[in-house]
Amino acid sequence: MTLLNFFQLLVSGIAMGAIYTLTAKGLFITHLATHRLNFGQGDFLMVGAFASIGMLTAGVPAPLAVLGVLVIMGVLGYLLERFAIRPLDRLGDRAGAYSWVLTTAGSALILQNIVELGFGKSAQYAPPLFSKTRDNVINIFGVGIFFEEAAIIITAFVVVGAFYWFLFGSRWGKAVYAVAFNPEAASLFGIDVRGVVVLVFVLAALMAGISGVLVGPLVSVHPHMGLIFTIKALAVAAVGGFTNPVGILVGGLLFGGAEAFSNYWDSAFGDLYPLLFVMALLAVRPSGLFGERRADVR
Amino acid sequence: MIEVDHIDVAIGPVGILHDVSLRLTQGRLVTVIGANGAGKTTLLRTLSNIVTPRSGAIRFGGKPTAGIKPHLLARAGLVHVPQGRQIVPGLTVRDNLVIGADRVAGLDADTIAQGLEREFARFPVLKERQHILGGNLSGGEQQMLAVSRALMMRPKVLLLDEPSLGLAPQVVTTILKALRSLADDGLAVLLVEQLALLALDTADEAHVLQRGRVALSGPAHDLRRDRAVIESYLG
Repeated sequence: MTLLNFFQLLVSGIAMGAIYTLTAKGLFITHLATHRLNFGQGDFLMVGAFASIGMLTAGVPAPLAVLGVLVIMGVLGYLLERFAIRPLDRLGDRAGAYSWVLTTAGSALILQNIVELGFGKSAQYAPPLFSKTRDNVINIFGVGIFFEEAAIIITAFVVVGAFYWFLFGSRWGKAVYAVAFNPEAASLFGIDVRGVVVLVFVLAALMAGISGVLVGPLVSVHPHMGLIFTIKALAVAAVGGFTNPVGILVGGLLFGGAEAFSNYWDSAFGDLYPLLFVMALLAVRPSGLFGERRADVR
Repeated sequence: MIEVDHIDVAIGPVGILHDVSLRLTQGRLVTVIGANGAGKTTLLRTLSNIVTPRSGAIRFGGKPTAGIKPHLLARAGLVHVPQGRQIVPGLTVRDNLVIGADRVAGLDADTIAQGLEREFARFPVLKERQHILGGNLSGGEQQMLAVSRALMMRPKVLLLDEPSLGLAPQVVTTILKALRSLADDGLAVLLVEQLALLALDTADEAHVLQRGRVALSGPAHDLRRDRAVIESYLG
């Protein structure tokens, strides 16, 4: 492998890793506040990708298309909380402790079939978001990298930054921490706990939607692509230690990088090795690279 | 400020409170004492609408509270300091102080800043430690923070669930003194305690809860003198 090759793979890996990070952030924040997460997170990403393809190919300008995707995803996140999560909370002990796995995964199946009905079974590519053509290459220190990938990395990091600001800096982020600590106590000091739960599910859906918009130009998009993204996002969150937002960023970049290189060595089974790597890591360190102890790191 | 009329409370099939009535008015410190499992915590959780009574009525400021969500009751001035203090460990002392007041209608940045100064004067240790994470405070400091967090919300009624739990006697005295002066300044305070004698020394009025029923009520200093009665109820 030449040095040039190495850098190009690294950039591709970081681009995918940043997208996994975004998707995993969605899992992280609902898990933090409610100890539940959307097993259809990857399918939400798929819906985001298709919604963006649909609007972009229909000639909607990119900023408007992104806005449209965000609105659709926000509504989907609300509906998921309203119909797959809230009724189980109302049932209390009469619902099994892990019923939300079934209801969220079931919602994902519904989404897959709706999208298949609208867009068909075949794989599609999204038109590039940031540049006119897919193979627009820019030169950085003599290394040619795809402009699209560079723009995706920057966008993803901006979104991750906004996410951190929300979690650590805003009054709603503090409410999320209070609810995560003890929902009943949070309600006693005036926090609308149900509002926070809705908020985190909407945020999770938005993160999946943004991931979907960004991933569209990088990989082929089809209605059943979601599961693998759900699994990879879970793997990334597990590597990062699930309740550690910084760990998830590190986990995502490591995972994306590992995937790019393993696909270079073995194009048939490239996706397999990073997951085996995660399994091995979790066998040794079940709480991930950083662990839940450090959930309060700033 | 608070009127409780003949409430019955059950959790699942188990009856916890039976025919409990009490009154809480401004400027009075009322204590509810009783042994472990007598239903003291359930009484406060019912007042905050976390638990719904099976029968009976609760009024706050003359209006029935039935159906009002707990966080809205808290914002309206019925503030409950829960057992175990429940300081959010990952937020700083200052963030913990502001988190409730931030959500009360009519409290702008200026009034919140004044509130902070007032609470820092009440418990100076909180001022020193305002940038430390809540989880790193001692139990006593956490209890002061819990009381101050509630006071930041400008309560009309303050409910406290065993503020003495796990604290050194000196800290308990500090907290009870603060509660006494709050009541003297016109706040309605309901103090649930297991340390009966200390609570009786501080309160104006007391109710003894025994297996979910009010077994005895009266002025605190009368009950305080009746040591034999207290001991037979509290074990």
